[in-house]
Amino acid sequence: MNKLKLTELGIKESIDLLNKKEISATELTNAYIQKIEEGSKLNAFIEKTFDKALMQASAADNVIGTEAQKALCGVPLGIKDLFCCKNIKTQAASDILRNFVPPYESTVTQKLWNEQAIMLGKLNMDEFAMGSSNETSIYGPAINPWKCTGSDESLTPGGSSGGSSAAVAANLCAGATGTDTGGSIRQPAAFTGIVGLKPTYGRCSRWGIIAFASSFDQAGPITKNVTDSAIMLKAMSGFDPLDSTSAKIEVPDYEQALGKDIKGLRIGLAKEYSLQKSNSEANRKLEYAISLLKDLGAEIVEVSLPHTEFALPTYYVLAPAEASSNLARYDGVRYGHRANLDTNDSIIELYEKTRSEGFGTEVKRRILIGTYVLSSGYYDAYYKRAQKVRSLIKNDFDQVFKKIDLILTPTTPTSAFPLGSKGTQDPVEMYMNDIFTVPANLAGLPALSLPVGLDELGLPLGVQLIGDNWQEPLLLNTAFNLENALDFERKPQNWWA
Amino acid sequence: MEIDTETVLKIAKLSRIKITDSETSDIQKDLNRIVKFVKKLAEIDIEGTGEFSFGKTYLKDMRQDSVTINDATDDILKNTKSKNQNFFTVPKIVE
Repeated sequence: MNKLKLTELGIKESIDLLNKKEISATELTNAYIQKIEEGSKLNAFIEKTFDKALMQASAADNVIGTEAQKALCGVPLGIKDLFCCKNIKTQAASDILRNFVPPYESTVTQKLWNEQAIMLGKLNMDEFAMGSSNETSIYGPAINPWKCTGSDESLTPGGSSGGSSAAVAANLCAGATGTDTGGSIRQPAAFTGIVGLKPTYGRCSRWGIIAFASSFDQAGPITKNVTDSAIMLKAMSGFDPLDSTSAKIEVPDYEQALGKDIKGLRIGLAKEYSLQKSNSEANRKLEYAISLLKDLGAEIVEVSLPHTEFALPTYYVLAPAEASSNLARYDGVRYGHRANLDTNDSIIELYEKTRSEGFGTEVKRRILIGTYVLSSGYYDAYYKRAQKVRSLIKNDFDQVFKKIDLILTPTTPTSAFPLGSKGTQDPVEMYMNDIFTVPANLAGLPALSLPVGLDELGLPLGVQLIGDNWQEPLLLNTAFNLENALDFERKPQNWWA
Repeated sequence: MEIDTETVLKIAKLSRIKITDSETSDIQKDLNRIVKFVKKLAEIDIEGTGEFSFGKTYLKDMRQDSVTINDATDDILKNTKSKNQNFFTVPKIVE
């Protein structure tokens, strides 16, 4: 098999060829290294760990076919820069963590290495995962491998896991980790024609993942197909004594759950999740997905989630509040950027100057708004009220899941948009991107985005399936059935190489 | 209620973020846009509604409060710009 084709393989297909000894892990890793070097215009990898990758590949080659071989043996992955990796520069794409080298490894990445996966490097993202377009990154945005038909304009790969989505869609890695606080796995996956899964809150340990909003943050896989998502999720999941919000619930074999028929499955369509332009290709693609699910034997049920319109305002109170608290640790004393001080500057100036220089505009904005909604005189009107509305939103889902198994929605209101086209005048314009993805984070529910086809611009569109707590097997199997029926072809024009 | 300049400066102080005079007005505009957006929450009746919780799945398996030895002092200190022996250093705090 030639080198170019090797990188088109998904995780499952790579494992099959490695097991048959048709390829070696070193060969596969070298093919990806070449693709990453050729794909530098995509700005997806911000830290390359090729020496480590080749050492891991050599170790993998030694155990393939033996009893010591583990589930992801020899599979080259990319890691979002939010995951701390021991002795590898980790900055959350922020200047305030300039040259930070963690002395420890995140639980999720450690689990991947325990399964003998290979680390190609760190992936671009929005600063501290705050953004929907990858444009708040200190490294500049990753670029979407897809372009509008007949246009050369650069598009966003989505955010915050934009480096992950660009890299997977352009075959720079077999799969990648992402994190999702308000849609940061699913929206980038939708924008680049790949599969993104945000697991149930507590499924994956948050230990060693740089915190944004701790009651929302979840790690998950970003992959070329549903089977790969199932394989990667299994490796990433599980209880961790170092994260008391990780759940002590057994991790099922998600891959085993795939391939069952979905006859009699009840899928809800919520009227609050409709697209604005009913006569659009996006709507036709959604209708098409619905018709395929019906053909597969699923029953489509109209449902209502009446508090949906309050989801975004709730999120944009609670997430910044948690962020303002989490990001208080960046003070210039122990790690990262430290401002140069004047002779008489006090420790307060050290904090204020360091944080002013180190944080980008959007991060500062969220810290300030978070501080405001938590401050004396405003706490009840904003923070406390939003916590109660979050209960109402969760209750909407609880009620609906008594009647149905899954909810189907569009993942995003539009396909990928041009870089620099949104949120420059008004930050709220960018926040509207998360309208369909945020509710699952508020309720802690698992949700998956699957590519469903191209719109009139020639860009990928995603549909989202939302499940009840711990229903990842059902979510993945339904997506697997739909994926097979859709036969979507992920083929961005190879303009970057 | 709009966020006025005084409030912007107060929350910047609480956030320990230095903002210059020239930045204040843009930040004020942005914050007011966000506040206007989240004000929608005032429309909803929350009478009798409790604050959100994830329920009983979480926090029931707390680990033992036991001493663990983590001898990574040198690795941890590698990340600071200012240290003296095994200590982080900061501008003088006491007179």
